[in-house]
Amino acid sequence: MSDTILAVENVSKRFAGRIALDDVSIDVARGSITGVIGPNGSGKSTLFNIIAGTLRPDEGRVLVGARDITRASAAEICALGVARTFQISRLFAEMTVLENLVAVARGRDDRAAIALALELLDFLEISGIADHWGAELSYGQRKLVEIARALMLQPRIMLLDEPFAGINPRLQNRIVEHLRALCARGITVFFIDHEMRIVLSECDLVYVLAEGRLIARGDTQSVRNDERVLQAYF
Amino acid sequence: MSKVSPLVIAAAAGFVALVLPFVGSDYAVSFSIQLLIFLVLAYSWNWIGGYAGYTHFGQVGFFGIGAYVGSILISRWEVPWYFAAIAAAFAGALTAVVLGGAMLRLKGPFFAIGMFGLARVLEAFALAFDSITGGGTGIYLKPVSDLRPLYYGVAAMAAIMLLLTWKLDNSRLGLKLLAIREDENAAESLGIRTTRLKIGTFVASSVAPAAMGTFYAVYLGFIDPPTAFAPNLELTTIAMVLLGGMGTVLGPLCGALVLSVVNEVLWANYPQIYLACVGVIILLAVLYMPRGIVNLCMKSGWLAIGRPLFRRLAAREEQTAS
Repeated sequence: MSDTILAVENVSKRFAGRIALDDVSIDVARGSITGVIGPNGSGKSTLFNIIAGTLRPDEGRVLVGARDITRASAAEICALGVARTFQISRLFAEMTVLENLVAVARGRDDRAAIALALELLDFLEISGIADHWGAELSYGQRKLVEIARALMLQPRIMLLDEPFAGINPRLQNRIVEHLRALCARGITVFFIDHEMRIVLSECDLVYVLAEGRLIARGDTQSVRNDERVLQAYF
Repeated sequence: MSKVSPLVIAAAAGFVALVLPFVGSDYAVSFSIQLLIFLVLAYSWNWIGGYAGYTHFGQVGFFGIGAYVGSILISRWEVPWYFAAIAAAFAGALTAVVLGGAMLRLKGPFFAIGMFGLARVLEAFALAFDSITGGGTGIYLKPVSDLRPLYYGVAAMAAIMLLLTWKLDNSRLGLKLLAIREDENAAESLGIRTTRLKIGTFVASSVAPAAMGTFYAVYLGFIDPPTAFAPNLELTTIAMVLLGGMGTVLGPLCGALVLSVVNEVLWANYPQIYLACVGVIILLAVLYMPRGIVNLCMKSGWLAIGRPLFRRLAAREEQTAS
C-alpha cells in the first residue's frame, strides 16, 4: 500500500525460548489512528519496543516509510520522526515539566524550543503545571506530559503505550480529542491499550494480539464481531 | 525570607580568593591551594557523577596521570609548571578518550568499581615503570619559593569550573545529562544521543583533574604512586560533592568549603580522632541531608531554586504571546 508509513513484516521474538511474538505483520496508514489490543502478555509492549528500537526482533523487519529500521538504534529511529510514550510513566522526575519537554527538543535554538514547549502544554491544556516537578504530578498529568514530550520531537508517528490505562473517562475523552487533533495535523497515531471502549470507537484500524499471534485485523465493527476476539477477550 | 542570589555568593568568594595571598599568612595560602585543588576535583566529578549520574571512584586515575606527566616534563626537560599542567590536561583527556568508550558500557556499581580498578592499574604502572616514573621512590621536583602564582593558577581553574558548571546548569546540554541520570533508556528513546554525551562528559571531566595532578606535584615538590593515586583524594572529593549537593552549581563549592574547614579544624585540634570525626560528619550528612546543603537551602528558601534560565525564558515567551 503506497500510504503505509509504518510496516511490521513477519516479526517474531522469543525470550528464553518463550514466544512473545510469532510472525506478526502490521501496516499503519499515514494520518490514521491505529490501535492494537490484546490481553496481558499478548506481546503488545514487545511489539512497541521492537518498533521503537529498544528490542531487536529475532526474525522479520520493521519499516518506516521505505527505510528499514530493524537494526537502527532508538535514537536513530526517533530522528526519523517516531516518538513514543511509555506504559509506566518515565518522566524525568527531578526536572520541571517545562524542562522535561525542552530537554528532548531538537535544534539549537533555546527560545524556539521553549516556544514549542509552551504551545504544546497549551494545546494539551496543561500550561498551569509547566513549573511543577516531574515527581509531583498526578497519574493523569504524567500521561499528558508524556504525550507533550513526545510531540516535542515533532514526530510523524506517535507510538502511545497504553495512554488510557488507569485514567478517568473524562480525561480519556480529552486525550481522544487531542489525538484526533494530532491526526488532523497529519500525525499518525499508533497505540496499544486495554480500553476497549476507546479502541473500538476511535480507531480507523484495529489489530488484535493474543499469545504473541495476530488473531484479527479490521475496522472496529468487524473486530467487535470477530469470533476469535470474543473468545480471547470475553 | 529574601533569597541569596548564587551570583552574589560567587562574587564574594571570588573577591576573597583574589585578596587572600596579600592579607593571609603562608599557611592560609597553602591551605587555600589544597582547598581549591579539591574544589576543581569536585566540580569535575560533579559533571559526570552529579549531572550525568555516572558516579565513579576513578577520577584520581586522571589526577595521577596528570601528576606524573607534569612531574616528568618538569624534572626532565625543565618545562615551566603551567605548560606542564596544560600538557597533563591533554594527557588526561587523551586517556579518557581511549578508555571512555569501553568503560561507559558499564553502568551503576560496575562503572563505579571498574573506574576504581582502573586507577589501581594506573598506580601499578607508575610503580612498575621505574625508569620513567622513579617507581616507589617517586620523582622529586625543585621546591617552589613563592606559592602565589600556583595559588592564582588553581584559583583561576576553580573559577572557570564554577562558571562552566553554571553554564551547563542553564543549558539544554545540562538537561540532557540530567535526563541520562534520571532514565537513560527513556532519554535514548526520546532521541538524546546518550553515548556521545556520556563520553563527551567523561572526557571533559578528566581534563581539570589531570591539570590539578601537576599543580599538586609542584605544590608538594614530590610525587610517588601512593600520593598520586591516593584513594583518600577520591573519597574526599566525592564526599564534598555529596555534602554540597550532587548535580548543582554551588554544591561542590559548599561541600569543599565546609569539609576542608572541618577537616582542618579537627586535624589541628584532635589529630588522633579527626578521621573518625570526619567519617561521622559525612555519615550524618548523608543520613539527614541526602540531597546536600544546597538542596536543603533551596528547600528552606535561602537559595533560589536552580536552573532559572528556562523559567525566565518561558516567562518572557508568555509575555510576548499575550
